[in-house]
This record gives sequence, C-alpha cells and structure tokens, in this order.
Amino acid sequence: MTSLVQAIIDGLMVGGVYAVISIGLTLVFGVLGIVNFAQAEFLMLGMYIAYFAWAALGLDPLAGAFLAFGIVFALGYGLQRTIIQRVLKAPAVSQVFLTVGLLIVMENGALLAFGSQIRSVTTAYQTKSLQIGPFFVSLPYLAAFLMSIASGVSLWWVLNRSWLGMAIRATAIDPMAGRLIGINIDRVMAIAFGLGVGLTAFGGAVVLPYLSVFPTAGSQFVVLMFTVAVLGGLGSVAGAVVGGLAVGVITSVSALMFPIQLQNLVLFLVFIAILALRPDGLMGRA
Amino acid sequence: MTMRQTFLLICFATLIPLALEPNGYYIRILTLALLFAALGQAWNIVGGLAGQMSLGHAAFFGLGAYTSTLLLIHFGISPWIGMLAGGVLGGIAAFLLSLPTMRLKGHYFALGTLAFAEVFRVIANTWSSLTGGPVGLSVPFSEPSLAMLQFNETRSYYYLMLAAFVAVSMIFVIIVQGRLGYRLRAVKEGPDAAEVIGVNTTRVKIHAAVISGSLTAMLGTLYAQLNFFFDPDTVFGALQISIRIALIVIVGGIGTLFGPLLGALLIIPLEEFANVMLADRAAGLSQLTYGALLMAIVLLQPQGLAEFAKKLAARISGKVMSSKTEART
Amino acid sequence: MNTPLLSVEGLSKRFGGLQALSDVTFAVNTGEIVGLIGPNGAGKSTLFSTLVGLHRPSAGKVALNGRDVTGLRPHVIAANGLTKTFQNVSLFAGSSVLDNVLIGGLVHSRVASARGFAMDCLKRVGISDIAQRSAGSLSFPERARVEVARALCTRPKVLLLDEVMAALNTAEMDEVIGLIRDLRKDGLTVVIVEHHMRAIMSVCDRIFVLNFGQLIADGPPAHIARHPEVVEAYLGREHDV
Ligand SMILES: Nc1ncnc2c1ncn2[C@@H]1O[C@H](COP(=O)(O)OP(=O)(O)OP(=O)(O)O)[C@@H](O)[C@H]1O
Ligand SMILES: [Mg+2]
Repeated sequence: MTSLVQAIIDGLMVGGVYAVISIGLTLVFGVLGIVNFAQAEFLMLGMYIAYFAWAALGLDPLAGAFLAFGIVFALGYGLQRTIIQRVLKAPAVSQVFLTVGLLIVMENGALLAFGSQIRSVTTAYQTKSLQIGPFFVSLPYLAAFLMSIASGVSLWWVLNRSWLGMAIRATAIDPMAGRLIGINIDRVMAIAFGLGVGLTAFGGAVVLPYLSVFPTAGSQFVVLMFTVAVLGGLGSVAGAVVGGLAVGVITSVSALMFPIQLQNLVLFLVFIAILALRPDGLMGRA
Repeated sequence: MTMRQTFLLICFATLIPLALEPNGYYIRILTLALLFAALGQAWNIVGGLAGQMSLGHAAFFGLGAYTSTLLLIHFGISPWIGMLAGGVLGGIAAFLLSLPTMRLKGHYFALGTLAFAEVFRVIANTWSSLTGGPVGLSVPFSEPSLAMLQFNETRSYYYLMLAAFVAVSMIFVIIVQGRLGYRLRAVKEGPDAAEVIGVNTTRVKIHAAVISGSLTAMLGTLYAQLNFFFDPDTVFGALQISIRIALIVIVGGIGTLFGPLLGALLIIPLEEFANVMLADRAAGLSQLTYGALLMAIVLLQPQGLAEFAKKLAARISGKVMSSKTEART
Repeated sequence: MNTPLLSVEGLSKRFGGLQALSDVTFAVNTGEIVGLIGPNGAGKSTLFSTLVGLHRPSAGKVALNGRDVTGLRPHVIAANGLTKTFQNVSLFAGSSVLDNVLIGGLVHSRVASARGFAMDCLKRVGISDIAQRSAGSLSFPERARVEVARALCTRPKVLLLDEVMAALNTAEMDEVIGLIRDLRKDGLTVVIVEHHMRAIMSVCDRIFVLNFGQLIADGPPAHIARHPEVVEAYLGREHDV
C-alpha cells in the first residue's frame, strides 16, 4: 500500500513534466494541424542548452530553462516560417516525412556537434528529498514538477487572457475566419510553433538535474508524449495536463507490476485503445 | 505502359546481372531495391488503392522474418513453408490492426498504425526466450539450394527478389482490374457514396489490409534469407521499414504500378551511397544527410516523382506539339 | 392491404441540439412517384441520408417491403433495393464516368457484366457520350446525371433523388422528367426532392411537405398547391421559382 502511494506520488511528479512537454506537441497540432514527430528533439535541445548554460556560466538548469525556452522559441519561429509552413496543406504522410526528417537531422546534428558522450549536471539539491510521513518526494523531481506546472499555468493564462491567446485560439478553430478578422495567421502559427517547441525545451531543461543528456535523449520521450497528447485529445492543452499526470501515474504504477521494458508496451496499448475508442481523447468531443 | 513495354522491361531486368559482378556491391543494392519495390507494391494496395497511409507495415514484415527464421532454427522447416506461415500470421495481424484503426483518418491513422508496429518491436525486444531479444537472430546456413532459399551468390537473390516484385505487382494488377480494385478506389474517393451504392467499405478495407499485410510478411522472410541476420529494431523499425516503404511509394508515385519500383530505385541507392560515402567521415553525418534528403523530397516534390516525370513529359510533348503547329503555320 | 414498399414510422434525428427530423411518418407504394418539398434546412436531405442508413435515426423505424432495415449499414440497404443520389454530388472524382457507374453495378455482378449494364444506365440517362471522361472534369448538370446513372446501376427498387434538377435548363429538366416517368414504367419507385415546383407538380403522384423536420402536409399536387400552411411555409417565399 505504501509503495503504491509512493508510486502515485512519483508518477505525479514526473507526470507534471510529461504534461508540459506534451502541451508543446498538442499546441502545435491544435493550431497548425501538424503532428510534429521531431517534438522530442526540442526537448533534447533544451537539455543541451541548459547543460551548456550550467557548464559555461554556472547557471542552474532551472534558470537555464528560461534560456532554453527563449532560444528554442526563436528557432521554432524561424523553422515554421521557412519550412513547416510549406506543408500545412500537404497530406498527413508528407507532414510525417518532413518532421521525421527533421527528427533525424536534429538527432544526428546533435551527435555531430556534441559527440555521443552522456552529460549531466551537479546541483546542490540533486540528492535531497522531502519526507512527509512514510513518503519521500525527491527535491529535483519536485522542482521540475513545480516549474512545469507554473509554465503550464502561464501558458493557460496567455491562451485565455491575452490578445495573442485569443488570436491563437481563433486560428486553431478556423484560420480563414482568423484572417478575416485581421489576424496575421502566418505570424500566429509561427508563434504557436515557437511556443510549442519552446515549452518542450523548457520541460527538457527542468529534468536535467535528474536526467542526463545525450543526442538520442529525446527518443525515450516520443512514445510518452504521443500517449499523453492522444489521451488528452490532440490539440487540447487542458487535456495534455490531465493526460500527462495520468501517464506519469500509469508508468510509475505499472513499473511495480511489470519489468521496465514492458512499460512502453503498456503505454502503446493505452494509446491504441484510446485512438480506437475515443479518437478525440478521453475528454474530447467524441 | 503497354504489355510490350512491360515485357521488355522485365527482359532488361533479367539481363542486368550479366553485366555486374555476381557477388558485387551494385547487384546487392539492386537486390535490396527490388525487395523494397515489392514491399512498396504490397503497401500500395492499402496506401495507393484504399488511400490508407499505413505507417505500421514493419509489424507484418518483422512477423514474417521472425516466423520463418524461428521455424527454420527450431524445427528445420524450409523457409518456403515458413514464408507461408508468416503470410498467414501477417494476414491475421493486419486483420487485428484494421479493427481499431478502421475508422481513423489522416494523422490518427498514421499514429495508430505506427504504434501497432512499435508494440511488435517492444515485444520482440522483450521476449528474449523466443526471439533472442535485442541481440537478434542469425539464419542458420545449411547449403545453397532453392529448397532452403539460400544461395552463395547475390545474383541468385537478385532473381529471387525480381520474381517477388513481379509476383506482387501481378497481384496488384489483378486487384486493380477486379472488383476489389474498383471498390477500393470508391472507398478512397468517397466512402459515403460508396456505401450508399452498395460497397461494404469495412470489408473492402479489411480485404486490402489482409492481402497487403500477408504479402509484406512473406517478403519479410525473403529479407531474412537475404541478410542472414536481423534484430527487432531493423525488421520492426518505424524508420527502417514502415516509413521507408511509404516514402518509396510516395516518392515514386502512389497508386501507380511502377511507382514503387521507381521510388525504390531512387531511395535505396541514395541511402546506400550516402552511407558509404559519409559513414567514415563522422558519426551521424550519413544519417543527417538522409534526414535532410527526406525533408528536401517533401519540400520539393510532395506529389511524387511520377507526377514530376509526367509533368516533364507533358512539357516536352507540349514543346513538340507547339513546334509542330509552328511548322504548319 | 398491400404492405407499402417503403414505410417510415416516427423517424427522428437529432444533431446535438438540433432536431433535424421529428416523428416523420409516411409510406410509399410500389410504382409511385413521390415529391418531397420544404424550405432550405427543412431536413429533406437528412431524411434521405437517414433512410439509406448514412445516419442512425434517434428514434423510429424504416421498413423496406415489410422488412425492418432500421440501423442497417448503407450497403446492406442498397443491396435491398434502396439508394439515393447526393445533393452536393459525391462522385469518385479520380475515376472515369463509366467506372463511377460500374461500381454501383458491382452489388449484383462481376466487373465485366457490370460494365455492360453501366453503359446501359449511361444511355438511359442520356450521357453515354461522356463515359470515358474523368468524373472530376464534368459540369454540375453532367455530374448530377452521373449520380442518377450510378444509383440506377445498383438496380434499386426505390430511388431517392436529391435535387438532381438543380442548375438544369428547361429543356434538360423536361428530359429528366421524361426519364423519371420511364423509370416508373419499368417498375421503379421514385422519391424526389426538388425546389422547382413546376417539375415536382408535373411529375409527382403525391407530395409530402417537410418544415423544421416535421411533415406538415401530404396529398396530390393540386391539393398541396392550395394547402394554407404549405403556401405560408414554403410556396409563399419562393413563389417565383
Ligand atoms: N451532419 C450534420 N450535422 C449537423 N447538422 C446537420 C447535419 N446535416 C444537416 N444538418 C442540419 O440539419 C438541418 C437540415 O438540413 P438538410 O440538409 O437536411 O436540409 P434540406 O431540407 O436538405 O435543405 P436544402 O433544401 O438546403 O437542401 C439543417 O439545419 C442542417 O444544418
Ligand atoms: Mg438538401
């Protein structure tokens, strides 16, 4: 029983991070209608930025996360204007090929640029944890969780309380109508893509205190992100938060019962089942 | 293309190996290209005719490779029989896949099929007692013979793959011209209208999926026999198999008879040469080039090479026409 | 009493908050030509789609020749002899006209004989000259006729025609009216949705009027033309059509 509760606590902690990295994926889909297979590579990029900010400037990864967000946001903005924009109306497979191509380029670009070694940071709080009764909450996990939730809330605020957010939501619902009421939808889409990949990079940076970075670090998150996004309904930000927490708990509880390799299998089965039964997500319109 | 031209093309393909070293590098690339052309043609049945862009064909491919190889290793059963067994399992897997993905469209279909193949990859990696796990399987070599589908020379494999490609293409043509082909096109172009005029769209899609999955599994056996070694990540890999097959057909011209061949003859050698030229330079460079090429293909020619060739031909014949009219005036 | 060929009882259809059809009841006998009229958005096309099984009714029952076909898949209903054309025209754009029609024939026969029958259907509708053209390249009136030929090729007992005369000129309209009369001579039963009152009045034995998803009147053309509710709901507004 104690171990189950502990697993749920652990699950919620990582789930918060899953939520924020998947919000990026779901935002990109919601606004641009594109499934970005390269999304997890921006997480890897965020980890590298935070790592080098720590190594060169001594910046804590939790602060480096803001740097990662900024840089990746700009990169995403540029990428959307130059490349992604051109396939917005292309068939789904073309979009898949393009973003898979981007995935390969980024992963191998990182290999060429940074080499294959595994890098990690050292922080003062890395090994600390809080004790609440019989339960433990590891400090770096808690920090990542809180940072993620804070960024999720900020995004929610931007989407619902600002003019930009209104423009983004209008574009997501109907780009043509958006254009008619005077929204520069090309710009809005680029901002949305930048925000999406930026958030995922942010999520990558905040996990650096407890995870290492290497060129293929993103790949371990691909399945997770997609399951979270589909669970919550592709395109739904609130859904991604609930989905992220749910997937965090599912993986952490299933680790109690199954060998670690089968964790992904459980996720895949959840994923396929949801696609088949509720293609719009558990809380979706279906 | 007419019957005559097709016949000449096959004759030409039969003669090519005579000009190449029987165990050389070039014939190996061509052999691989033919295998992937056949895979593309099998994929074309669902992707091209039914318009269902499956990204999960690695599931069937790997299933075929593992089935025949395990039967050979444990029971000494000829890969021919193993291939049939794999074909049956591939068909069953395709049936099972089509149940949950039947009603999905666009991205959701792509994601669902992709995930399905990943399930197989995870299982193959995990269930080591059966599959050998991540280490992979080696096909035991007995002695070169057609009965055991094993040869000394790549040239023999070339003919094997050529025959496979021709066979799958013939099945494709039979489907295209028959009831199923008409119904598949109807399903692709207007599922509601198809239903209202009596097409059982569900059954039609399942038929196509089962045929395609079964053929893909059988080609998996041929791959195992050609390569003698494989692991879960190569035969069940999304990038290595599923996406590559779809890419080949789309680049070559989706839904067309010669699209898969055209696409395979372009993509496979390109990958190989990129590999050979760049692999020793720096780790990741050849892969990076491949990724960049993938992006470039989508950005430059989303409609496929065949469309590009058609346009080119139209332009040339347009010029010829206009020069003729000019000559007349 | 004979069982009617098509009988509809208490049929309702909701789309979210919108009651597109409410409690529609009527029957059509073999060999009748029945008109269905009503203002835009009255639910005529929805009724057709529900009858052929594209929509699952929220309530009610559809029977064909006494057999309950409610909730069956459209292809089963088509095989039982009920099909329709699409108002927004939904041809298989990448295929030729002949192939479009041929697919309808596959319900009953193999490709070769379906092709022959498809040619016959094209001739009946008067468009055998465009058999080899691509369906995507046709004009709207041509496409509407291909729709009719394709539906005929399924050898229906009841044919539902949804505004096939839209965008036709008077001469063309007369041709289609002639065709519908011929079809009836061959034993076919036809239900027509049409906004052209002249066409409806001249060809139909009976007319149903739908308004806001409800049947508000039915009877012979002369009776409908004088029906006060109908005049108010429908004719009053589009009198000049
Ligand atoms: N699939 C659908 N989902 C939601 N609402 C629908 C759907 N199809 C039709 N409707 C709505 O149902 C109502 C009836 O539409 P329908 O197309 O049946 O009208 P109609 O009588 O055929 O009109 P018209 O004369 O313009 O063809 C309309 O308000 C329409 O917006
Ligand atoms: Mg209508």
